This record gives sequence, C-alpha cells and structure tokens, in this order.
Amino acid sequence: MSTTFLPCGDYHQGYAEDHAWFQTKFIKGKMIALFLVLFVFIPISYWGSIFQSAFNIDNYWFSLIIRYISVFGADEYWISVFNMVGYTILGALGVQLLIGYCGQLTLGHGAFIAVGAYTSTLLILEFPWPEFMITLGLAYPVSIFIAGIMAGLFSVLFGLPSARVKGFYLILTTMAAQFILVDFVITQYVSQIGGRGQAFSLPPGTIKIGPWLIDNNYKVYFFMLILVILSCIIISNLVRTRVGRAWVAIRDNDISAEVMGINVIKYKLLAFFVAGFIGGITGSFWISNLAAISPEHFPWFLSLWLVGVILIGGVGSIHGAIFGSLFMVVIMELLQLAVIPLADTYPKLLMDFLFIKEATFGLAICGFLIFEPNGMAYRWWQIKNYFNLWPFSY
Amino acid sequence: MQFKNRWSKILLIGLIAGISIGMSSMAIAADTIKIGSLNDMTGATSDVGKDYALGIAEAIHYINDTGGINGKKIKLYQFDYGYRIPEALTKYSLFKRMKCAAILGWGTGDTEALAPTVAKDKIPYVSASYSGHLCDTTKTPYNLFFAPDYSTQVRGLMTVWFEKKWKQNKDFGKRKPRIAACYMFASPFSSSSIKAYKDQAKVLGFDVGPDQDVSLFAIDTKSQVLALKEFKPDVVLHTNTVMSVAATLRDSYALKLGADNIIKCWGFDENLPKLAGKAADGALGCSPWAFFGLDVPLMKEVTKYAKKYNPGIPPEKRTIHTVQAWASVLGLAEALKRADKAGDLSGEGILKKGFETFKDVDIGLGIAPVTYTPTDHRPQSEAKVYEWTGDKFVLFGSADMKKKWPEKWEKEWLGW
Repeated sequence: MSTTFLPCGDYHQGYAEDHAWFQTKFIKGKMIALFLVLFVFIPISYWGSIFQSAFNIDNYWFSLIIRYISVFGADEYWISVFNMVGYTILGALGVQLLIGYCGQLTLGHGAFIAVGAYTSTLLILEFPWPEFMITLGLAYPVSIFIAGIMAGLFSVLFGLPSARVKGFYLILTTMAAQFILVDFVITQYVSQIGGRGQAFSLPPGTIKIGPWLIDNNYKVYFFMLILVILSCIIISNLVRTRVGRAWVAIRDNDISAEVMGINVIKYKLLAFFVAGFIGGITGSFWISNLAAISPEHFPWFLSLWLVGVILIGGVGSIHGAIFGSLFMVVIMELLQLAVIPLADTYPKLLMDFLFIKEATFGLAICGFLIFEPNGMAYRWWQIKNYFNLWPFSY
Repeated sequence: MQFKNRWSKILLIGLIAGISIGMSSMAIAADTIKIGSLNDMTGATSDVGKDYALGIAEAIHYINDTGGINGKKIKLYQFDYGYRIPEALTKYSLFKRMKCAAILGWGTGDTEALAPTVAKDKIPYVSASYSGHLCDTTKTPYNLFFAPDYSTQVRGLMTVWFEKKWKQNKDFGKRKPRIAACYMFASPFSSSSIKAYKDQAKVLGFDVGPDQDVSLFAIDTKSQVLALKEFKPDVVLHTNTVMSVAATLRDSYALKLGADNIIKCWGFDENLPKLAGKAADGALGCSPWAFFGLDVPLMKEVTKYAKKYNPGIPPEKRTIHTVQAWASVLGLAEALKRADKAGDLSGEGILKKGFETFKDVDIGLGIAPVTYTPTDHRPQSEAKVYEWTGDKFVLFGSADMKKKWPEKWEKEWLGW
C-alpha cells in the first residue's frame, strides 16, 4: 500500500495511516468509481430490466431508453466472459499466494478447485440438511465454506512434502495432487456416490443464497464480484500482516527466515491451507455457473493455465492475478472476434482457432518473460506513478 | 525501446482493426440462417472428431448448393474446442450472441453440461453425443440427435451377440455367459451406457465381470486385459473411441483373452482394422449408418463433396464419421425446412414445428427412419450390428428394442 506516492503536503502520521486502504480522498473516489463500473455500468441491462419489472412500466419510450443505455453495458455474452475472468482470478489468487508470496512452486491447484467443487455439489445433493436450512437457502453458502475447508486440508496434505523439498521437486509432488485426487479418487469413487455415474447435475433451484436464486449469468456475475472482492481483501490483509511478512521471508530465503525465528513449516503449510481454501471457494463458485460437473472439468492443464496467468500478470502481486486473468480471457475472446470476419476468406481459421489460442498463450508467456518479467502489474505500477509524479518524475 | 514501441503500436492497431471489423460483421443478413458447430479436432476424441468436423462443413455446402433452406443459405460457424468443457461453454455463449438458430454439438460431457442452459435459451442442440440421458424431454427438451442412443446400442449389441453367437457356443445352456466392460470411468461419454449395460445383463442373464478403466488416450492396456483374464469373459463391451478400443483389442489378442468384442458406434469404424490388424477380426460393432462409400442413397454426394472440399485427404482415409456428420446436418436441415415452411424459425419453432413433426422420416445414408414425439426424443429403436470379417464390414444382425421389449421401452428405459 505504501508504494503509492502521495501528493505534496500529505504525510502519513502513523502505521495505521501508512497501511490504510484508501490513503487519499482521490484514491477513495477512484475506488468508488471502480465499484460503480463493476456493479452498475457493466451489468446495466440487468438493472434496466429489474427497474422495468419492479415499477411495472410498459412504455415504448422507456424500453427504448433502456435499450440504448444497455448498449454501453455488457451483454450476456460479455457477462459470461467476465464470469470466466472471475473464475480465473479466484483460481489464480491461490496460485499467486503460493508462488508469488510464499515461493512454493505448485502445479496442482486445479485439483483443489475440483475438491471444492465436488464437496459443494455433494453437500447440496446428498447431505440430509435440516428442513429449515433448505427453506432459508443456507445449504449452498454453508457448503461453500465447508468446500473451502476441505480443499484447504487436502492442499495441506499435498503441501506436506514442502517441509523437505522445494523448487522442481515440489512441482512434482503437487502435480501428484492432480493425479491422485482428480484422476483417481474423484473419478473412481467420489463420482459414483448416489449412483450418478460420472456427471453430477444440479437441478435448477438448488443453488441459492438465502432467498437469492442464482439462475442466470448476471446473478453469477454479482456473486463472482463479491467472492473476488472478499478474497482480495482476505489475501491483501494476510500479506500485509505478520503472516504475509513471514511468507515473503520464506520466499526470499528460507534459511535466513528460519534463523530469524520463523517456523518455516508452519507458515508454508498455512500458505497451502489458505491457497487451498480459496481454491475450494473457486470450485464451489464454478458450479453455480455450470449447474453440472464431471472430472473432465478439471484437467491438469487448468493448473498450468493458472501459473501462466500469474506469470503474465506479475508474480507476487494481487493486481497481477487480476490483470493476468483479464489478459488471458478477454484478449483471447477479442482475438476470436477478430478472427470471425476473416473466416469468410479463410474458412479453416475458425477450426484452427484453438491452435491460435494455445500459441498465443505460449507466445504471451515468452513475450512477458523477455520484455516484462515483472508482469503487467509492474507496468500498471509504472503507469500509475508516471501520472502521480507528473510532471516532475525524478 | 523504439523497436518495442513500434511493434506494440502495430499490434494494437491490428487488434483494434480486427475487433472493429469483427463487431461490424455481427450484423445479420436477412436471408441466411446461422448455425454454430462445436467440434473436436485436437482433444481426447479427435481420433473420430476430425472426420466428423470435415463432414459437417461438407454437408452444409451440400445443403447450400441444393437450394438451402427453402432458398435461405446456411452460414456455418465451426469451432474446435479441444474437448474442453469450459471452452465449450464460452463458445456456446458466443453462438448465442451471434444469434445462431441451432447448434451442432459434439461430446457427451459438454452436451450434458449445456443441456439445462440450452433448454432455458430454447436453442435446438443437435449433438454427436447419443447419450440416452438426452432423450427425456422433461429434462432436456432441446437436445436431439440422429442415431439410436448409446443405451439402445449397447442393449442391441448384447442381444444380437446373445442370440447369434452365444447360442452356438458349446457352453450354451450349461452356464451363464460372462461379460465385462472396458471404458474410461472419468468420461461421461464412455460411461453413459454402463447403467443400461448392467441392466441388460440382468434381463438376458449374464454374469457381469469387473469394469476396466481404459483411458481414451490409452495405448497400453495390458494390466486391464490381464485383470480380465482371471474373469475369463466370453464377450467384452467397449464404449471408448477407436484409438483406445484398438489398443484394447490388440492387447487382448496378444495376451490370448479369447473373448468376443462388441463395440459402441464411436469405437467401430474403418480405422479400427487398420489400427488393430488381425485382432479386429470378428469384432461386432453397432453402426446406425452405412460405412463411407457403401452403396446407399446420398452416398454419392458424400463422396463427391469429400473430394471437392477436402481433396488433400484420399477417400480411403475417410470414415463413417463423415456419414454421421451428414446425418446430423441433413436431419437438422429437414427440421429447419419444416419450421421455415411454418414460418417460425425461432428455437421453439424449429423444435415444435420442425423436429417434433418427424414421423418415420428417411434421411438416406442407410440410417433407419427417424421419429420424434414431444415426449420421447429417442429417434430410433433398432440397433444395427456389423461384423468386421477381416476384409470388409458385413451386416451381422439387428435388434429392435421397441419390438422386443415394448413394455420396458415405453415405460422404463426413457432417459437412461
């Protein structure tokens, strides 16, 4: 937080101010503007239809106005793209915490997302909830929390080898999580619960928080925003306190960290727990978007993809996870839209788009490692400082 | 620094130009019907998916060349999604944004994941997944396909094997026949007919052996075959795609398992004998369509268009999956024509005034007549079983499930 340069005449007068969320009124204004954009302007067509049905307006001009305003917001397609972004952000935050803050290389995060998704699904479908909890719509929210805990515990289990090994060897042990949890436990045993075969599908109406039924893309979008904001708050609070400093110390040099009196194993496992917890929440969020689940949703590639996201976004920064996810999802969609008109002349292009996408993923990682190893978050920081310090940027 | 800036500028301009062109081309021309297509050219089922994808494009050309949909042209948007479900979901929302009238889908996993959304958005979804789950109109009203469903295929295969092969066995009447299944547990596609398989084993009186998990990517299945050897099955059911079925056949041949093989439609095509060699001799497979190049109505067009639009692939390399794709497209086109005549090309119109008016419609290609009713989307009840005799595919027998077990067909078996 304290990386923000303050305008002339503003000084911090204590630690609390030094670590405050909103350090100046201007920053507070910017944040309010950001929330307005996220909650109001992007889903404006949703608000329009709510407004229309709430006041029961059946006026031609009014609906015309609503339609014109909606042009500036995101339509359902873009909302579903943003939901994908949110899913990637939530997944990448856990990876960021492990790799970026605690220095524990992991390639098995997808498995913990799967654990979360399955825990939540099974709790909703199979657990004998007391009647009042179902009528109050508490089953899903409680299952999210339990899914987080479950995924966290599994993450700790597969993080245990980090007490002894690090670097490439740790990558291999975390990869085991994918093969043991997803390919073995979930496919062979968990998927068979209730005789459902492989795929679980959640009947409509089961995913609700209190009276709020999550049944369309816009509602998933709001739910996603809330989860992303909460997770960002949790992680940024963790990393600026004692725990976070211990993690950074371990990342920078685990031997000196131990010499300074940090219980290395405890903090490493804590990092695995928190990352797994957020992974579990990611999984249980994802089922609200899918309403169906099978082990095929969690290939090993998902873990690799998340690592790619934080490499592009910037290692060791929460902004990095967000920018990386935006880049990887939105840029790819834009690329696809750009390809569609070209397909009239080169019909093969649409079919080969997956190759283009994969090649772009690889190229983007190479490009960032060569030209901007600190990722997009660092670029953002530079741009921000340029304006903050302008015109005397020395 | 200069170099970097110039390149980033060019990239940025290119991207912006591309996007603006992309946005502007979104405008809909009045006399075209948009169809989206999801195909797998690179993923787990690409061994059979490539030919299907080529077939889709060729069949759409054929429809457009022969007058389109009552004069309207079809515009096809075809994407490879690599058998990845999240990819399929975003592609689906793209199709919805482009206002596609109908979607030609592919795998079981994504078709079942999309089914509730498809029903909500009322977009007819013609899949290459013939999962029995998709036939129950109370759950998946907008899912359709042109083949007997997997469960009917498996029941038919078992029935035909029981009647034609087991009755000639010297142990017939002395003991129950033993059966086991090889499939990928994790794949909803491979495992979708397993419930029907176990049920049919009870109906016909089989001893059921332990299921073997064979990945769709498997190239070595010796441990599974060795596990089966202890059970000594008389017949093994395969529900994977060709690549892994061929691997299993080869290993059972090499390890002398000595069982007959019955194979679901996606594991039984022209590539099977090429990949499995002698091990494929005598294999029985369910195949609702004629094999590529056989003498059935419309097959001349199939071969002609294959030559015309993909001249790089020799005809002997094309497979039955091209014919399958043609069946899906021709069926969809017939429904579109009917809906268009009724003047209603909305999703609901295509379903109600198109598909659900089908009564014993013959679309050619050696496929049995297709019927849909508003309560039952099982298009056919007859499973045709072919045998690979070592040099060609021969029709071995067929079993009509509706005629054999009318009671169960009507009441019990819908939606498996």
